[in-house]
Amino acid sequence: MGVFWAAVVVAAQGQQPPDILVSRQLAEAEGLGVGDVVDLATSAAGANARPFRIAGIYEPTPDPMQLGQVPREVRMHLPDLLSLTRGPDTPAGTEHVDSINIALTDPRDADAFARDLASRMPGVSARSTSNPSFDGNPFVVLERFHLAIAIVTIVAATVFLLALTIMLVDERRETVGVLRLIGLPVHRILGQIFFEGVLIAGVGALFGLVLALGSERLINEFFQWRYNTALIFVRITPEVAATCVAIAVPLGAVATVAASWALLRRGALRLARR
Amino acid sequence: MIVQATNVSRVFPMPAGPVTAVHDLTLTIAQGEHTAIRGPSGCGKSTLLHMLGCVDAPTSGTLLFDGQDIAALSDRERSLLRLNHIGFVFQRFFLLPMLTAAENVELPQSEAGVERETRRRRSRELLDYVGLGPRADHRPSQLSGGEMQRVAIARALANRPRLLLADEPTGELDEATGQQIAALLDRVNADGTALVIVTHDHALAERATRVLTMKDGRIERETRR
Ligand SMILES: Nc1ncnc2c1ncn2[C@@H]1O[C@H](COP(=O)(O)OP(=O)(O)OP(=O)(O)O)[C@@H](O)[C@H]1O
Ligand SMILES: [Mg+2]
Repeated sequence: MGVFWAAVVVAAQGQQPPDILVSRQLAEAEGLGVGDVVDLATSAAGANARPFRIAGIYEPTPDPMQLGQVPREVRMHLPDLLSLTRGPDTPAGTEHVDSINIALTDPRDADAFARDLASRMPGVSARSTSNPSFDGNPFVVLERFHLAIAIVTIVAATVFLLALTIMLVDERRETVGVLRLIGLPVHRILGQIFFEGVLIAGVGALFGLVLALGSERLINEFFQWRYNTALIFVRITPEVAATCVAIAVPLGAVATVAASWALLRRGALRLARR
Repeated sequence: MIVQATNVSRVFPMPAGPVTAVHDLTLTIAQGEHTAIRGPSGCGKSTLLHMLGCVDAPTSGTLLFDGQDIAALSDRERSLLRLNHIGFVFQRFFLLPMLTAAENVELPQSEAGVERETRRRRSRELLDYVGLGPRADHRPSQLSGGEMQRVAIARALANRPRLLLADEPTGELDEATGQQIAALLDRVNADGTALVIVTHDHALAERATRVLTMKDGRIERETRR
């Protein structure tokens, strides 16, 4: 940004200095409050410092790319910034910028807008921030990594669930055998076991969700404290919850039925006799 | 005639070669008959009983239950036949541990579609019949072996079967308790249910009007009284 923090001046001045906003982190670190007047300069030595009045304290938009760097930032009006940073030999109005952010009314137009701009102004590179799928973006890599972890976890959990249901069904092998002997047809018993499997899987998924929602708060609070940021690290959205249930319940049902089918095929007698 | 078995065999294919548990055996069980099956261990008594009860099917020969060929029935039809016409009693009782005595007796009735009030009443009656009225709400773990077997008999009678099959019903009981069970089975038979009992217990076999002695999958001797 090129603006260095110089000194804090809390003094009444004749003319009201221009307003600035200070990031929460900077305000906390330097003990600043609204109404304080501070000097800002472009050099660390404090040359050409100018006074500004703190009109407010803001929470910086969390940026995962800047995780770990505590944002000691100031926001000021563009004319104030220009007059503060303009070199003595630069006439007003000839300043240049390297990049600007543009907010669109409808963010979905971003890609079309970027294409349009690039064709109209060759040499200008326009890129959508909401579609960071270009190669080398660390978050795209991270996303793939998460997907891989999720797949491995689900496969491992399925194997575990299958083993569990086999044990569960095997434990009830005698009961199932007795029911068969009494005269309950296979499909009735399968239906009952299926119902229980779905119930267990559903309750399990719900338990997992409650656990996730509980740890969501803990994880967010811990890392927000650790990195002094408002960044949200974990978010369980309704879609995530729905996906979780949509995977767990059919998986549980299939696992139970597979396990009990293997058992029922062996016939009533061998069940009851062991 | 309730069951009519003609030249039935049951062969179990085993890795070491087929095992013939029942060999070309012909047998009929008549309405209200009281039959005991004896014989050395492994001679095929249980295998025969399971075929008579339509749990297992012969590998050759024909088995008719009420004139119906068992081999022609689907699993569902065979299940229904067991549910409505056949009662089983085993050495190890096989009560469902999570249900009370009354609920164990109600189970086959509810499966057969008997209405709630009717099956409650019938369960109480049956438990009274076997002398366990006051223990109706006890779970199997709270009952003695003899009591569990009496509940198992009540359960086997729940849908008024025409045939009651018992495999070593006194095998796990002491002599006095075994005699109580034997007397109860006699009463069941006297009330019109055909009874086939597999047993090593001499005294129990002697109560039957017909005793079959098996050996190596065949009926070696038949005595009637
Ligand atoms: N499911 C099975 N698979 C293989 N072989 C079997 C099976 N059931 C029984 N057999 C064999 O058939 C033969 C007869 O068995 P069964 O259980 O009918 O004898 P049993 O007369 O009832 O003996 P016990 O008095 O000891 O109960 C035995 O040799 C047994 O090993
Ligand atoms: Mg046996």
